[in-house]
Amino acid sequence: MRNELVFVAMAAAAALTAAPKKPVYVGVRVCAGCHTGRKIGDQYSKWLHSKHSQAYAKLALPTGLEMAKLSGLRTPPQESTICLGCHATAWHAEDWEKDETFRIQDGVQCELCHGPGSEYATLEVMRDRQAAMKAGLRMPDQEFCVNCHVEKGSHVAVTNRPPIDVKQGWRELLHPLASNPAPGAVESAPALTGVKGPKYAGVAECGKCHRGPMLGNQWSRWKLSAHSGAWATLATPKALEIAAKKNIADPQRSAECLKCHSPGASAPRLESFTADEGVSCEACHGPGSDYMSDAVMRDRRSAKLAGLKTPDRETCLGCHQSKDFNVDAAMKKIAHPTKLPPVAEGERYKTPIRMALRPDGREVYVTCEASGSVVVVDPAARAKVAEIRVGGDPTGVTFAPNGRLAFVTNRLDDTVSVVDVASRKVVATLKTGNEPHGVLTDRDGKLLYVLNTSSNDIWVYDVASLKKTKTLSAGNGPWSLALSPDSRRILVTNMKSKFAPVRERFSSEVTVIGTDRAAVDDRVNISDANLMMGLAWHPRGEFALATLNRTKAAIPMTRLLQGWTINNGLAVMWRDGGVDEVLLDEPDMGFADASDVAFTPDGRYALVASAGTDRVAVVDVAKMIGVIRRLPEQERRTVLPNHLGYPTEFVVKHVATGRNPRAILVLPAAEQALIANSLDDSLGILDLGKMEMVGRIELGGSKTINRQRLGEQLFHNAFVTFHRQYSCNSCHPDGHVDGMTYDIEADGIGVAPVDNRTLRGILDTAPFKWEGTNPSLSRQCGARLAVFFTRLAPFTPEQLAAVDYYVTTIPRPPNRYRPLGAALSPAQRRGKAIFERTTTNDGRTISENNRCVSCHFPPYYTDRRRHDVGTKLSFDRTGDFDVPHLNNIYDSAPYLHNGMAATLEEIWTVYNPDDRHGVTNDMTKDQLNDLVEFLRTL
Amino acid sequence: MRHLRYVSLMAALTCLAGAAEVAKLPYVYTKWKHITTADGLPNDHIFAVKSDGPRVWIGTENGLAMLDKRTGKIKSWGEKDGLPWRVVTAIDVDKKTGDVWLGLFGGGLARFSGGRFDHWHQLNSGLVNDVVYGVAVQDDNIWAATTAGASRFNTVTGEWTIFTEKNAPMEEIWNYNVAVGKGKVYIAVWGSGMLEYDIASNRWKDYLDPDGEMEIDLYRDDGIVHVIVTAASPADDVVWVSSYFGACRYDGRHWRGYYNQDSGLADDFINNTKGRSADEAWFATDKGASAITDFKTNTWVTYTRDATGKGGKAVVMRDRDVLETVEMPVGIPHNFIINYDIDGNDVFVATAKGLGWGVGEGYYPGLKQRPKMVAKAKGAAVTKGGAE
Repeated sequence: MRNELVFVAMAAAAALTAAPKKPVYVGVRVCAGCHTGRKIGDQYSKWLHSKHSQAYAKLALPTGLEMAKLSGLRTPPQESTICLGCHATAWHAEDWEKDETFRIQDGVQCELCHGPGSEYATLEVMRDRQAAMKAGLRMPDQEFCVNCHVEKGSHVAVTNRPPIDVKQGWRELLHPLASNPAPGAVESAPALTGVKGPKYAGVAECGKCHRGPMLGNQWSRWKLSAHSGAWATLATPKALEIAAKKNIADPQRSAECLKCHSPGASAPRLESFTADEGVSCEACHGPGSDYMSDAVMRDRRSAKLAGLKTPDRETCLGCHQSKDFNVDAAMKKIAHPTKLPPVAEGERYKTPIRMALRPDGREVYVTCEASGSVVVVDPAARAKVAEIRVGGDPTGVTFAPNGRLAFVTNRLDDTVSVVDVASRKVVATLKTGNEPHGVLTDRDGKLLYVLNTSSNDIWVYDVASLKKTKTLSAGNGPWSLALSPDSRRILVTNMKSKFAPVRERFSSEVTVIGTDRAAVDDRVNISDANLMMGLAWHPRGEFALATLNRTKAAIPMTRLLQGWTINNGLAVMWRDGGVDEVLLDEPDMGFADASDVAFTPDGRYALVASAGTDRVAVVDVAKMIGVIRRLPEQERRTVLPNHLGYPTEFVVKHVATGRNPRAILVLPAAEQALIANSLDDSLGILDLGKMEMVGRIELGGSKTINRQRLGEQLFHNAFVTFHRQYSCNSCHPDGHVDGMTYDIEADGIGVAPVDNRTLRGILDTAPFKWEGTNPSLSRQCGARLAVFFTRLAPFTPEQLAAVDYYVTTIPRPPNRYRPLGAALSPAQRRGKAIFERTTTNDGRTISENNRCVSCHFPPYYTDRRRHDVGTKLSFDRTGDFDVPHLNNIYDSAPYLHNGMAATLEEIWTVYNPDDRHGVTNDMTKDQLNDLVEFLRTL
Repeated sequence: MRHLRYVSLMAALTCLAGAAEVAKLPYVYTKWKHITTADGLPNDHIFAVKSDGPRVWIGTENGLAMLDKRTGKIKSWGEKDGLPWRVVTAIDVDKKTGDVWLGLFGGGLARFSGGRFDHWHQLNSGLVNDVVYGVAVQDDNIWAATTAGASRFNTVTGEWTIFTEKNAPMEEIWNYNVAVGKGKVYIAVWGSGMLEYDIASNRWKDYLDPDGEMEIDLYRDDGIVHVIVTAASPADDVVWVSSYFGACRYDGRHWRGYYNQDSGLADDFINNTKGRSADEAWFATDKGASAITDFKTNTWVTYTRDATGKGGKAVVMRDRDVLETVEMPVGIPHNFIINYDIDGNDVFVATAKGLGWGVGEGYYPGLKQRPKMVAKAKGAAVTKGGAE
């Protein structure tokens, strides 16, 4: 038995030995263990002196914040995968892929270019270049550098400088081995862990707490200072020259030099301290072993007693002995207060999105997207009375029928804030699906329905327990919902149309939920409709109205002059399931972006908001029904939905509103309606008797319109389009996609159709268009827009600048499949290996230009070039298409240049027969599933 | 009329009771309805049946149908109506959402929800193969038994997981069926026995024929009867298993095998099984519908259709002893049975010639004292069953 065990153990050990080890990141200090000193070429010191070593710290600068903003990022740059993608090493790696010696704050380290080093970073292996490369050492060329050092709009906009000249940078960065290289390491005094008295702990220990904006970004400030390079400076020619005059052969090992260039190098230290950190915190504040603990540092007196020093002029002058040294200016320069100086916040807006009337009619809750709050309005007093902080991007709001609780969907956070109405406090937070939008309870307030507009489902919660009970399948982008007057059904509009193959007709779904079993009873198809958003039941329950667009995506947009491209109107959804469609456009005036609809209490009129033309249309319901019923069936189905003349028969009035009206709330008791003017932070008061605006309630947003806000207003307004037929937002709702494939140019019907692409994070992904022929946003949104889209004089330069600026700041949602630093699931981990693979399943080498990661290079996962991946169809002008970025790729279906792939899988199962879009045909089905799981994390 | 017939049957039984021996006997379904193309089914080859409240979903060789039990009306869907594939081989219903999940033979997986068909297949999704034999709803997951392994689709996250010989103990990957029990998922695999997946631990356990003999069972009740398993159906705390070479029952510790030679099974070639309880299960054989009705006494009822006409028989057996034969003017629609579902007292039988609806008025589980028929010349007593 014992022998058997031994055999099994030996077999297991042999298996372990045989299995190739997955290399892990060891960090620059492990490399420094050999690559230090003149005898090998001073590579480590050169790196310490390079901007690469400061790349992570640089993200803490105010310029970093502005660049992040222009990349649509909301998280601090040091916590953003996009920024870290070029400013740090192994940002994408899981914890197990990083050795304890690795520190992300070391920025762009050796291993970013040379690959994770655990398997080659030994003297034995590194002495043989071939062996090292076999063990994972990469020797990149200049092309590799271009992946990061490519022009990024966000960086150019802030620094007004072109990207680094890679050729020049390459020369400066060269760090060849010395002839007959001999490894050398950073030398410090022996660690004296057993000796009493204070010891140097090292800047990394300080940096564990003194990082991030809450503590003044102190570590980053130090890293960006000359102090951090003080030790590395000793390897420069100038330092060597000075040292030579003093007969010092190697200043990095000279106590005299180190006294000021790394004061802790010859002092008692803990193992965490190394001399290479130069002049760090402890050089001025004293060795920190006794005061560095969190408990001590929280009490200034205790810290002082434990050795924390407050440096003064003399501290500086101890080393800076030059007559020219201005100690006061220097101290000012390196000041690093815990609290950052207050930054001008700029204008703060509200952006009201949705409203709900408290059941007792005394208050209106208004969700304000820009301020992350719910503004409480007293409609009688016509005043804002309170503001409640909720989650990120609050959108939908509803009250429980008893009025005690309100529910607010937070689109950014994927949560619902449960607000106690009496105390105006958030008392619970519910997890939802992706990007929750509409929210409603049933009549009894027992069930809460939440529409998740990005995950295309409806979560149902038990209100008493606040627990989720089920997930219902919605259409594409569930948006609004409305309970029928008899409380038996809930209608749900879906913003995006269903997927339709290129050039085929599409439709949108209105989902019908039966409240008796809280399940989907029916799904009504609305032909040729998309962007269905607003929804309301007629008070008598005979029908409901929903706003819609009718987008003629298959006809060149230049046909705009004929009144075609996008029409705006209503779906009339009859109780028996039948549907009629009517337009609200008129021949010379479009009704762009119909966003919401409501009925007057008597059901006589329907009010419809046009967010793109800043108007409310008053629809005489009886007249509209009369038009519908008098038409023969054929005309009702084919003419009425496209006829620009009929609206004049039932739209009895247009009422001008504030900017971008997106929601209407009827106040029955007051015989008024509130109109949420999203982009001027107000509620307009519409008198339902006179059908006139009679007042305005300010929600408290800034009245100064900055460039970003101006751009947002322009983006959402149709004034720039011929007859005001549509706005930028009409095709890019929320700055994203509408899931449509468009025939844009006047090159013949059906020629070169293109899938709509997201604007989120667009600035750093130039060039633009699928054919990659537009080099800049200003061209894309300027002349090109006028010629191919709007057919009117283009934006003025000032307007264009504002639109461009706004477009760049359109926020991108966080990745729902992998938050920064989260471990990958087993499937995602396997998928990552496939994404990065270099050989096929049967061992054939995949050519470098046909590997996933070659064209889809992080952090945007695009090389921003054009490639032919074999997807050209007969009506395409070219087969070379711009490589799309893959960030949040899961929420921008369909895929490929003309949207012909309905799912990620189809890209490879259907449209890659010749392995031109990566080598994928050798993959098994489970491998493809794994790859898709990984792609979702990008 | 229906009630009248039932009363007649009971009256007849009562009259006979006076003359016949009273014995503990199982319930016998004597009232059968046939649902065929004549009633509106798109096809008579019924592959799957699933009861869903007042609805009965019927998967056929050429479309999906739904029987409204209240009205008797049938609605059907073919490819022209949006059904992604004409052959519907498996059905399960998500009790929470009401969504109907369909396994399509060669067409993948579909969801029928609110009148909309959603379609997943091996080209547009992570489904491992389009030949789907079985489908089962497990919380937010949908399991599909396919000819190339099992797929699990998480409807909330959208993740697909494939189970094959790579990550499950499948000696073969031809998955015939899938069913969900308490904390477990059971997969019937052609050539690989029954697999049990523990939902909490994500671990698999396989149940193979211990004697490894394909043709014979060397040691009785030593494990699963055969590795060519067609279905596993958990009920209460046991699992009923069907194979092409007999049936068996597993209570977590003990196995019990059943063959035609020592039970009431009409044949050892069994396409499917449906457990009703730890005591009762129905087996879909190629020669009739056999139900073990009382596990402890090995009492069975086998229903067959006569060679001519609509009439049929129900034969009550204990071991191989015939206790009773009930003749019925209307029996099951056909003797080749593919699938069952049980809905309260009623049983639905999917056959090669329509759907049989056994109306279980007065159904009782197990055995009950009732008149035992006087045997005819050589064997069983004969009762005239009421039927239409």
